[in-house]
Amino acid sequence: MDELIAAAQAEGTLTTIALPDDWCNYREMIDAFKAKYGLEVNELDPNAGSQDELEAIKANIGNMGPQAPDVIDVGLAYGPAAIAEGLIQPYKVATWDDIPETAKDPDGYWYGDYYGVLTFEVNKALVPVSPADWADLLKPEYAGMVALAGDPRSSNQAIQTVYAAALANGGSLDDAQPGLDFFKQLVDAGNFVPTVAKPGTIAQGETPVTIRWNYNALANRDALMGNPEIDVVVPATGRFAGMYVQAISAHAPHPNAAKLWQEFLYSDEGQLIWMKGYCYPIRYEAMKAAGVIPQELMDALPDVTGAVFPTLAQLEAAKALITGSWDTVVGVEVIDPDA
Amino acid sequence: MTAAVTAPRRRRRWGSPWAWLIFLLGVSYFVIPLIATIEFSLRAAYKDPVTGEFIRPSLAAYELVLKDPKFVGGLLTSFRIALITIAVSLLLLVPTAYWVRLKVPRARPVVELITLMPFVIPPVVLVFGLIRIYAPPPLAFLNSTFGTEAVLVGAYVVLSFPYMYRAVDTGLSTIDLRTLTEAAQSLGAGWPRVLWSVIFPNLRGALLSGAFLTLAIVMGEYTIASFMGTKTFGPYLSLLGQNKAYEPAAGSIISFAITWAAMFAIVIIGRANRGRTQPAGAP
Amino acid sequence: MTAGSATSEAPGIRPAPRRVPLAWLGLLPFLLFSAGFLLLPIAFLVIGSFQTSTGEPTLENYSGLGDPYIVAAFWNSVTVSLISAVGGGIGGFLLAAAVVRGGLPRPLRTGLLTFSGVASNFAGVPLALAFVFTIGNNGLITLILKDVFGVSLKATGFTIYSQLGIALVYLYFQLPLMLLIVAPAIEGLRREWREAAENMGATGRQYWRHIAFPILLPTLLGTTILLFGNAFGAQATAFQLTGGTIPLVPVVIGAQIRGDVLRNQGLGYAMAMGMVLVMGVMILVYVWLRRRSERWLRS
Repeated sequence: MDELIAAAQAEGTLTTIALPDDWCNYREMIDAFKAKYGLEVNELDPNAGSQDELEAIKANIGNMGPQAPDVIDVGLAYGPAAIAEGLIQPYKVATWDDIPETAKDPDGYWYGDYYGVLTFEVNKALVPVSPADWADLLKPEYAGMVALAGDPRSSNQAIQTVYAAALANGGSLDDAQPGLDFFKQLVDAGNFVPTVAKPGTIAQGETPVTIRWNYNALANRDALMGNPEIDVVVPATGRFAGMYVQAISAHAPHPNAAKLWQEFLYSDEGQLIWMKGYCYPIRYEAMKAAGVIPQELMDALPDVTGAVFPTLAQLEAAKALITGSWDTVVGVEVIDPDA
Repeated sequence: MTAAVTAPRRRRRWGSPWAWLIFLLGVSYFVIPLIATIEFSLRAAYKDPVTGEFIRPSLAAYELVLKDPKFVGGLLTSFRIALITIAVSLLLLVPTAYWVRLKVPRARPVVELITLMPFVIPPVVLVFGLIRIYAPPPLAFLNSTFGTEAVLVGAYVVLSFPYMYRAVDTGLSTIDLRTLTEAAQSLGAGWPRVLWSVIFPNLRGALLSGAFLTLAIVMGEYTIASFMGTKTFGPYLSLLGQNKAYEPAAGSIISFAITWAAMFAIVIIGRANRGRTQPAGAP
Repeated sequence: MTAGSATSEAPGIRPAPRRVPLAWLGLLPFLLFSAGFLLLPIAFLVIGSFQTSTGEPTLENYSGLGDPYIVAAFWNSVTVSLISAVGGGIGGFLLAAAVVRGGLPRPLRTGLLTFSGVASNFAGVPLALAFVFTIGNNGLITLILKDVFGVSLKATGFTIYSQLGIALVYLYFQLPLMLLIVAPAIEGLRREWREAAENMGATGRQYWRHIAFPILLPTLLGTTILLFGNAFGAQATAFQLTGGTIPLVPVVIGAQIRGDVLRNQGLGYAMAMGMVLVMGVMILVYVWLRRRSERWLRS
């Protein structure tokens, strides 16, 4: 480990990509890493999508400059895709064995870093009674209020939302069609707002009921500090867990810094920082058993018993179905409806 | 003896009513969404430490943005890059547009198609294409800060093509190119002199428009700057929008105001310089 | 047989036209710059459109363009771009005329022109949010209409989340663009022409209709095409506004090339080539229209 630290410090910099400050508390994670090891961290586009991250590696092959990312944090489906394109290199962190089998590539190319469940983020100033479950969203009192945090054709969060609705609507992880049906009902009832939900639109009231990952919703609630009041509701049924995975670029200009970063993320310290950001760290079960998690942190996280994790195959099948049929759900008009 | 046989014209001291109507309609359309944005940005609140109540409206969002060191840094960097981009774009496109009009009119559709291409290439494709070209040796510009900024300026000049070319071409259409050129040449001017002393001054209004458009583009551009790893204003503003509610609204108002002020400054400086040359023909 | 005659000695041999190729050399800086910063990246686009995600050559990306969803995207994009280009063109021209020739106080003109400089690029998420905050379901104007005038915007059937809504939002950067480019042209109308027209008894309307407007027409056409391209390539604004529920070409391309879900970059590149085609057609239309309008000037 000490050689790794020395080698990393010789490299001096780490280049990251797609790590927003408020996503799982990455701001504190990066600052803690910088303070502990004295490395610089060069943060590229925090708003990049998973596809952008792979593309950034591909485009920067041979570039040792600051545009080439060393490490990536992408959706689960992108792990195998990255291996297929030869973009990542294997590395097994010291705490490798604590990571559940279902959450890692056996050769160590990618492994899960954290997960969360989909929740309803509600602006209490405009919505006196929060919905408790998916079925509530269809009620007339939520007319023109329900929104997604993205487009299911390009946002992981949005497509998982449609997938998750299936669980509460008679479907299962193998059958995402009821999710599409649910959203069709939502649109027909007039409850759906098509605009992309952001903290601004939630606070302003255009999208007072937004479906997002619990860590994003809770972080937003904290940031708003009661102006307005935000309620974060875990649905009673249909609890859907989504996982992201960590990997090192095969063409990383600073491979040792990248490995040190991974070690930091998967150490108790790193995992707890993620927990402070309301994300469930991947080593949660092992750490809980070892008793290293402070009680307040565990209490701050929402109760997610019964949350289900889709496998890669299930994700692919659902993705194909949802992206293919989403336009029928939202009633795409070719002719100008005002004509 | 001439008698102007016209009906006596009312001296239009205050402008025609039509003009006022159109102007006011236009201004309403532009201002109302800004008012809505400002109203929202003022909903950010300070918490009274004693009562725990919210003090609204407040400038809390504005304070947060203005105090952020990344704000000023990003602003200055963007402004500097914008000025360089404007200079390069003018130096490249004014002679080109002039040449096309004067000498190679058949090239016009080709040149115009090229200048409209930036609309068609998604910025993310452009930036990744540029990285592929200029990162690996032998053209490894992206390894140095200066090189990276040079490539960024190149990308921004390309982004300004549609607007700058159209503005310059429009300006050229209002002056009699052939006569001016021949007059200057008959007085012994070479091509550079013709361009610098005769054409540029006559295009003042058009060049100003093009410069404004380019300045706004560079100040707001986000995708290319962020993937190049440069710390400009666009990425900063966009970052605000992801996680904060009121600050992005405040940030866009601030950016609007600052860019507007910069353009006013350009106009005033331009007026101060006007005494030196006498443009021909324009009223 | 004069001393200065051209080369031919035998009949039928014409001197090679050397003028034209040399003149094209003057375009070299522009062409080189474009090649280095625009055309080469576009080459990647073109090559990528013929490749699968693993790099094999294929034509399936182009056949994929026939998908009804993609056709709908092109149709929507062209419609929205036309509406905002024509609307922006007419509105921008009127504004420019009002502020340059309408006799309004000079500071208003400087203010509007500089404002237009900023507004022309006020696009993307801030613009979309500004309009959402204004006439969205919970917007300022919506609420004022409801609470003060008792008028429900929703009851009129208007929603900002539609093609018309997008075009309305696009006007925010289309109008200023037209204004900025056309104002110098209107300024360039010679005072003498106006005076000559007045001397012959023309009213203001006649002056505009028979003199000013025909002179300006080529410029107006060219700038309208610019507006079309501007709207056609706009992505961020519409995406934030409608969340992709109204398919537009740049939004769909973005979903294919970026994003966390779809991964068919080749299809995205093929769609971009489709955009090149549409722009090319538009330019041809414009060149034809311009030639017809310039005929007036030449005769």
